[in-house]
Amino acid sequence: MAGVARRLLRRGLGVAAGPPSTRQLREAEEAAPVFQYAGKVARRKDRVFVWGFSYSGALGVPSFVRPDAGWKKPRRIQATPYRLETEEKISSAACGYGFTLLASNTRDITKVWGMGLNKDSQLGFQRSRRDQTKGYEYVLEPSPIPLPLEKPQQTRVLQVSCGRAHSLVLTDHEGVFTMGNNSYGQCGRKVVEDEVYSGSHLIHQLKEFDSRVVQVVCGQDHSLFRTKKGTVYACGWGADGQTGLGHYNITSVPTKLHGDIAGVNIIQVSSYGDCCLAVSDEGDVFGWGNSEYLQLASVTETTQVNIPRHLPFKIGKVKEAACGGTGNVVLTEEGNVFVWGYGILGKGPNLIETAVPEMIPPSLFGWSDFSPDIRVAHVRCGLSQFAALTNRGELFVWGKNLRGCLGTGRMEDQYFPWRVTVPGEVVDVACGVDHMVSLVRSFT
Amino acid sequence: LNAAPGRAPRQQIRFLPAPAPGGGGAVELVAARVPVLADHPLVRGPRFRKLKIGAGHRLDVKASGVFVLGIGHGNKLLTDLYNCHLAKVYTVGGRFGKATDDFSDTGNLIEKTTFDHITREKLERILAVIQGTNQKALLMYSNIDMKTQEAYELAVKGLIRPMGKSPPIITAVRCLQFALPEFQLEIHCLHETQQYLRKMVHEIGLELKSSAVCTQVRRIRDGVFSVDDALPRTQWNLQSIQEAIRNCQLKVEAELEKTLG
Repeated sequence: MAGVARRLLRRGLGVAAGPPSTRQLREAEEAAPVFQYAGKVARRKDRVFVWGFSYSGALGVPSFVRPDAGWKKPRRIQATPYRLETEEKISSAACGYGFTLLASNTRDITKVWGMGLNKDSQLGFQRSRRDQTKGYEYVLEPSPIPLPLEKPQQTRVLQVSCGRAHSLVLTDHEGVFTMGNNSYGQCGRKVVEDEVYSGSHLIHQLKEFDSRVVQVVCGQDHSLFRTKKGTVYACGWGADGQTGLGHYNITSVPTKLHGDIAGVNIIQVSSYGDCCLAVSDEGDVFGWGNSEYLQLASVTETTQVNIPRHLPFKIGKVKEAACGGTGNVVLTEEGNVFVWGYGILGKGPNLIETAVPEMIPPSLFGWSDFSPDIRVAHVRCGLSQFAALTNRGELFVWGKNLRGCLGTGRMEDQYFPWRVTVPGEVVDVACGVDHMVSLVRSFT
Repeated sequence: LNAAPGRAPRQQIRFLPAPAPGGGGAVELVAARVPVLADHPLVRGPRFRKLKIGAGHRLDVKASGVFVLGIGHGNKLLTDLYNCHLAKVYTVGGRFGKATDDFSDTGNLIEKTTFDHITREKLERILAVIQGTNQKALLMYSNIDMKTQEAYELAVKGLIRPMGKSPPIITAVRCLQFALPEFQLEIHCLHETQQYLRKMVHEIGLELKSSAVCTQVRRIRDGVFSVDDALPRTQWNLQSIQEAIRNCQLKVEAELEKTLG
């Protein structure tokens, strides 16, 4: 009996317990299942991140303004980048004064989405669900903007731009669509007295330019159009000379600019406040508009310049320029960033104003002996803040931190370029007055 | 050590009686230099009976590399060097495809994953992000008010770093070798532990949608001391140690001067 029991134990349950030998461990390891999280053809995903002041609805997250659960509190300021879920891949974004436009270059019917303030119909007509005749004044989540396209399934939207209360949409074959406030003719149509802009269905189409429009830029109350031939057209308010047409009146039809840029092939125009900058293909910078903050003081003592003037800066060939409310920034071919104007310019608290461009040391953008090939690739301007994108996809911001628009997580102003941690490689960024939108690609 | 010629005994001046020149009997006091008897080697005994040896930054059991020791007076220099908060450089080797519980290749297996989608480009992108977030941490933990002009000046020169306690911060990362599934990184860091570096390798694996374990951690530089100054096992004898101390003295002094003033 005992012998049978012992034999059973040895056969069935008599496995030697104790620490597993190396061979057993190795076999267990080889037998373990292999998990696959990403295949060889895994694509990098495109994402949109927003941050800044949320009560205007410009961030596109309704739960910040109207929380969906009772215990949640409304979030007035989103201080760090927050991911915005969108249905389509967004190729272009623009921030206005309290509203945002997102555009995708698809061939689908819905190409442009808008969110934020809509008191002047800058986001088109958003039909209210409660009252079918009225429109929404605040749009809290990205809502499609219906554009009166002739061929909606062929035309693509290339770029969008937003000003204080108007917006411009650039398409590839059907010209430019404008909507919003037109009290100064910034939408490119005749000013109608006592026009009510709120809840307006009117979207104007502009087609008469000497060649195809390739870039649209909105200033505060004026619009600039750059065509393929390198000419610049402007319309809108001109009291600071920002239309550059030689007078200080309102222009309601896009008119060609002359002055120092006549005959020059302009490759980029920029404006956000009342000052405008243009960059030619040879790397020269031209400016016009407001100069109260020494933006154009290198050529003139007057505070308004109403005709484009060449700015004789000896900083090298300029690749890109960006205009803010009181300060300007340019990027040269070598990758150096120069700032001038008034306000927090990015060289510490001591530099408040300068008429001559000052370079920001590249070591502040991550350049060092260890990584010498870091260069700034793009520069952007909001009303009182600046943003720079490096070739590694890092975003640096500096300037006045109005309602958390810098995205650093702190509410203090930033006197020198500071990295914003975005979980992805930043491809483009749009700066507004108190919020920012960035287009990001994920890492893997 | 005790066999080496010691310090010469102290000399003292004593007035010794010596017979006066001239007639006998009268004794004169003549000043003479005599060695102090208390310093005589037979009285004092061997000079070194024990040595005070202090260790610099810790090194794990599983890690290898430069390990700084201080002898005698050197211990005070060690404290000063610690307060300098200089960066250390490690070569960290990793291997994709596995995840273990203690992040090294000798731990218990948790998961195996595929890694054929990983390219050197993706790895470098992740490293750039790690560097970026750690740069931010560097500026934040340095406890300097960002609104001052000095903060701006230091930031331009790249001299801002935490001079007190802080969590581990990586100042620079670079990929030295990449041959799937193995890869090697060079990491410059502050206030770290080797386990933190292994965890970092594991997290890099996770970011790349795979998994990684750390196969090697080797410190190649600790402040001013690099692998060239370090003595390998075969040279752990008195001569080499003395020579090494002599060679490093200047460097250490210069560094302390520069940082602590």
